[in-house]
Amino acid sequence: MSRRTRWNGAALAVVMGGTLAAGCGAPGGDAPQPEATGASLAAAPTCGTAPVTLNAYIETGFPLPKELSTEFSKQYPNVKWNIREDQFAVITQNAPRVLADDPPDLMRLPQVSELVKNNLLKNLDGYAKAFGWDSWPASQLEQMRLAPGGKTRGEGSLYAMGLNFSMTGVFYNKKLADKIGMSSPPTTLAELDDAMAKAKSAGITPIAQFNGGATGGLAFPLQDLMASYGPSGPINDWIYQKPGATIDTPSNVQATQHLEKWIKAGYFWKDINAVDYATMMSRFIKGEGLFSFNGDWESGNLDKQMAGNVGFFLMPPVQQGGKQAAMSAPLTYGISSRAKNADCAAFFLNWVATDPKAREIGVKIGGSHPMGPADAPMPEVAEGTVTASTLDAGAKIAQDNGSMDFIANATGAIYAKSWTPQLQKLVAGQQTPEELLKSVQSDYTSQVGGS
Amino acid sequence: MTRPTPDSAVDSPATRPGPAAVTRKRSPARAGGLRTPSRVGWLFVAPALIVYAVFVLRPIVLTVQYSLYRWDGIGPSTWAGLGNYVKVFTDPDLFASILNAVKLIAFFSVIPVVLGLAIASTIRRIAASRLALVARTVLFLPQVIPLVAAGIAWSWLLSSTGLVNQLLGYVGLDGVARAWLGDFSTALPAVGVIGAWVLLGLCTILLLSGMSKIDPSLYEAARMDGANSLREFISITVPSLRQEIGVCVTVTVIAALASFDIVYVSTQGGPGNATMVPGLEIYYLAFSERQVGMASALAVVLMLLVILVALPIQWLTKDRS
Amino acid sequence: MIVGRREAWTGRLLLVLLMAVTLMPFLSLFVTALHPSGSYPSGLEWPSDPQWGNFVKAFQAARMIELIKSSVLIVLGVVPLSLLLGTLAGFAIGHLRMAGRNLVFLVFVLGLTLPFEGIITPLYYQVRDMGLLNTRWAIILPLIGLFMPFGVFWMRAHFVNVPEALSESARIDGANVWQLFWRIHVPLAMPALSSLAILLFLWTWNQFLLAIVLVDDPLKRTMSGALGAFQGQWGTDMPLLCAGSLLILTPTLVIFLIFQRRFVTALLQGSLKG
Repeated sequence: MSRRTRWNGAALAVVMGGTLAAGCGAPGGDAPQPEATGASLAAAPTCGTAPVTLNAYIETGFPLPKELSTEFSKQYPNVKWNIREDQFAVITQNAPRVLADDPPDLMRLPQVSELVKNNLLKNLDGYAKAFGWDSWPASQLEQMRLAPGGKTRGEGSLYAMGLNFSMTGVFYNKKLADKIGMSSPPTTLAELDDAMAKAKSAGITPIAQFNGGATGGLAFPLQDLMASYGPSGPINDWIYQKPGATIDTPSNVQATQHLEKWIKAGYFWKDINAVDYATMMSRFIKGEGLFSFNGDWESGNLDKQMAGNVGFFLMPPVQQGGKQAAMSAPLTYGISSRAKNADCAAFFLNWVATDPKAREIGVKIGGSHPMGPADAPMPEVAEGTVTASTLDAGAKIAQDNGSMDFIANATGAIYAKSWTPQLQKLVAGQQTPEELLKSVQSDYTSQVGGS
Repeated sequence: MTRPTPDSAVDSPATRPGPAAVTRKRSPARAGGLRTPSRVGWLFVAPALIVYAVFVLRPIVLTVQYSLYRWDGIGPSTWAGLGNYVKVFTDPDLFASILNAVKLIAFFSVIPVVLGLAIASTIRRIAASRLALVARTVLFLPQVIPLVAAGIAWSWLLSSTGLVNQLLGYVGLDGVARAWLGDFSTALPAVGVIGAWVLLGLCTILLLSGMSKIDPSLYEAARMDGANSLREFISITVPSLRQEIGVCVTVTVIAALASFDIVYVSTQGGPGNATMVPGLEIYYLAFSERQVGMASALAVVLMLLVILVALPIQWLTKDRS
Repeated sequence: MIVGRREAWTGRLLLVLLMAVTLMPFLSLFVTALHPSGSYPSGLEWPSDPQWGNFVKAFQAARMIELIKSSVLIVLGVVPLSLLLGTLAGFAIGHLRMAGRNLVFLVFVLGLTLPFEGIITPLYYQVRDMGLLNTRWAIILPLIGLFMPFGVFWMRAHFVNVPEALSESARIDGANVWQLFWRIHVPLAMPALSSLAILLFLWTWNQFLLAIVLVDDPLKRTMSGALGAFQGQWGTDMPLLCAGSLLILTPTLVIFLIFQRRFVTALLQGSLKG
C-alpha cells in the first residue's frame, strides 16, 4: 500500500509541478522595445506592385473608411483589404490588446498616449519627413504628437494620422426652429438658453442627445459649455496631460452647473441614459429634438436624410462676439508597431490627404475637412448644405485658435470609467456638478500618475 | 447556462436514493480495485488531469500570483503585496460590483426558486397532460439559447419604446413606463429579470420532476389528517424536494455571482456603475484598463465567494438519509 | 374532486401565462426583425410591409455559413476529446478505484464551481504565449480543460454504479484493462455519454467569454461570441440585429427541438448530478 501510494503521489506531483511551475518570477517583461525614433527613409514608401492585404480595424456606422479603401483598391489593384469593424467603445476597450497581440496595419484609435507608453504604435516621423507631412498646418497633427515616453501630448514625435479632421458644434432642425421663431442661430449662450426654453414650452424636446450604455454623450454639450465659460487652452492642457493641469476649475464648475440646469429643466429626453448614439441620430432625423450637440462626421448623412432642413452653428460664447472654440480632432488612425505592411498603410494615409478623389470622398462622405497642405484644392460643396456650414465653421475656429481635443480622450479609461458614469449620475440627480469634476479629476490623477 | 455544482460526497454514489435507486452491494474485495495496478488507473486519469492542470489549475495559480502585483499586462510588473485586495474592499466602485452580484441573487435565485415552487405545485396535477409536455419544451428554450441572445432580446423589450412599456400602457400604467435598463433605480432589477427569465423554466421543471417522485400516499395521509394545501406544501412538498431545491439554489446563485454575458450585452455595467458585476469588472480591468493585478485580485475574491456560498448550500441540502 | 378540477384549471392558466412570458422575447425579436432596416419600431407592432428580406440580409451580413462552420469545428474539437478524457478518468476513479482516487477526484470537483472569469486573465496570456490567440484552438483547448471537472464527475457517477462482476468475468476471459474499458464499459456507458455530449455541445456552442477575449475574428468564434461581434457591428440597426440574433440562435433551437427529450433529460440530470 505505502509503496503504491508513494508512486501515485509522485505521479500527481509531477503532473502538477510541471504545469504549475509557472508561478515563479514576476509577470510581464516581454514588452516591445521602443523604436529609437522613426527611422529616416531614403524615399517615400509605396505599396509596391506585389499583392498586399492590409489588415484594418475600423469603427462601424461610418462609411468613410470603407469608401476610401474601395477607391484605393481601384487605383492600386494589388492592394486588398481585410477589414474588421466594431463600435467605438469596443475599439477603445480592445485597442491595447489588439495592437499588442493581433497587430493590424491600420487601426481606428481612441486616445494614443498610453498606447505610445507601451510602444504599441509605430513612430511616424520617418513617414512624415518622406511624405512632407511636416509642412502641413501644424495644428492638424498636434493632437497626435507625443513627447518621448508618451508623457505629454501635443508635442514630439508623430504616432498617428487623421483621415480628416472633424469639427463639433450644434446641429438644429430648421422646421422646429421656425416653429419657435428662431430665424438665425443664437449668437450668445443666453440666446441659446432662450431658444431652448421656447422649444420646451412649445412641447418640443430642446436637445437630442445620447448618454446611454458605455457612451456618455453629455460630454459634448458639457465641453461646449466649458469652452463658452472659459478659455480652451487649460482644457487642452488637461487633455494633453500637462503637469499640474486640472479640470476642476471655477469656469468648468459653472459650465457643469449650466448643464445641470438644462437637465433639471427637462431639456433632454427622459430616457437619455438609455439612448445610444444611433438611437439619438434616428430620433433627431425624425424631428424629435431641436438641437443636437454633435460633429461634422454626420454632415454628409444629415444633408441626405434631412436635406434642407438642418443647420449648424458653433457653440455660442457667453459674451456677444467672444472667442469660439470647438472640439476638433483628426479621425485618428494609427499603425501598429508590429504591423506587417506599415509602409503601405502609411502610403494609404498620405493618399487620403493628397489624392483629389480621396479628398472629395473625405468631404462628401465624411463631411469633414480633409487633412493635407493648406493650399491643397478643396472639393466643391453645394451652397446651403450643412456640410458647407461645418466647413466654414472650421475656418472660424482656426481664426480664434479655438480647437480643442475631446475631454473623453484625456486618458484611455477616463471616458468609460469617469465621464460616462458621472454624467449618467448627474442626469439621475445622484451627483452634483462640483463633486462630478472633483471625482473626474481624482480618477485622472490616479490614472496619469499611477500607471 | 446550467453550471455544475460540487458534490461534497467523495466516493459515494451521487444518485439520490429514490424509488428506482439501485441498491448496490459492496464486496470487501472491491476496496483494492479490480486487482489492477494503481499505475494503470493513473494512466487513465493522466490525460484529463494534464489538460485540467494546464488550462485550469495553472491559470488559478497564476491569478493568485498576478493579484499580488501591479501590472499593466505589457511592461514589467511591481510587487504590490495585498494592496490590490485592500483596494477591492475599499474602493467603492469595486466593492459595489460585489454587492450588485449579491443583490442579483434575489432575482436569479429567489424568484426562480420561489416562483418555480409555486408554479410547480400548482401544475403538479396536470403534470402528465399534453399541455404540460408542450410546456416542458417551451420553458426549456431559455436554457438552450445563448445568454447573449437573451440579453439582446430583453434589452429591446425593456427599452423605452419596448413591449414592456407598451403593455404597461395598455393597463393604464404609463406613469411607471421608463427605459428600464437606463434608469439608476431599475437597471439592476431589470438585469435581474432577464436572469430570472432564463432560470425560471429550468427550476420549475426540475422541481416538477422532483414532485413526481414524491409518494402520493403521503398526500393522501395528510388529507386524511385534514391538512390544507398550504400545510401539505410546507410539510410534505418542500422537505421532499430538498435536494432539487438545493440544486436550483446552487445553480442560480452561481449564475448570479458569476454573471457576465447578460450584463455585457444589456447594460455594460451602466448607467453609472449601477449594474457593474465582478465578472464584467474583471474583464474591463484586465483588458481595457490594464490593471491586471487588480483584475486578478477581484477574480480571486470572486472564486472564493462562489465556493463560500456554494459549499454551505450543498451541505445544507444534502440528502442525509 | 371538484377542488382538484379548479386547481387543474388554475394550473393550466398559469402554465399558459408562463409560456407566454417565455416566448415573449422571441416574438419581439421576430416582429422587430420584419421592420424596415434602420428604423426604430416601437413595442410589438406588426409592420405594414414585412421585410422578409432582412433575414437574407442578416444571413449575409453575419456570414452565417462560415459562422456555423466555425462553431461546428469548435464543437468537434471540444466534445469528442472531452468525452474521451472524461470517460477515461471517470472509469479509473469510479471503477478501477486506484489508490489516491479520492484526492484526485477532490481536485477535479473543486473546479466544478469555478467562474470562468476567475481565470480568464492568465488564460489570455497563456494562450498568447502558446501562439494560439485568434485560432479556434484558443477556445477548444481551454474549454476541454474547463469541462474536465464536470466530465469526470459525470462519468465517475456512472461507473461507480456499474457492477464489478462484469469486469471480473471479462477478466477471466483474458481481457486486459484497455479491452475491458473499450469493449465492455464504453458501450454500456452510452446513455450517460450521450447526455454528457449534449450538455457539452450546448455549453460549447453558447460559450461567450472565452470567445470574445481569446479570438478577435468573429468567423473563428463560437456562435455566441459571433453574436457579440454582430451586435458590436450592427447594434445600430435594430431590425437587422434582431434578424441576426434569431438566425444565430436558430441552429441550437432546431437541434433542441429534434432531440428535445434527450435534451431535457440531460439538462435535468446534469443539474441534479451536479
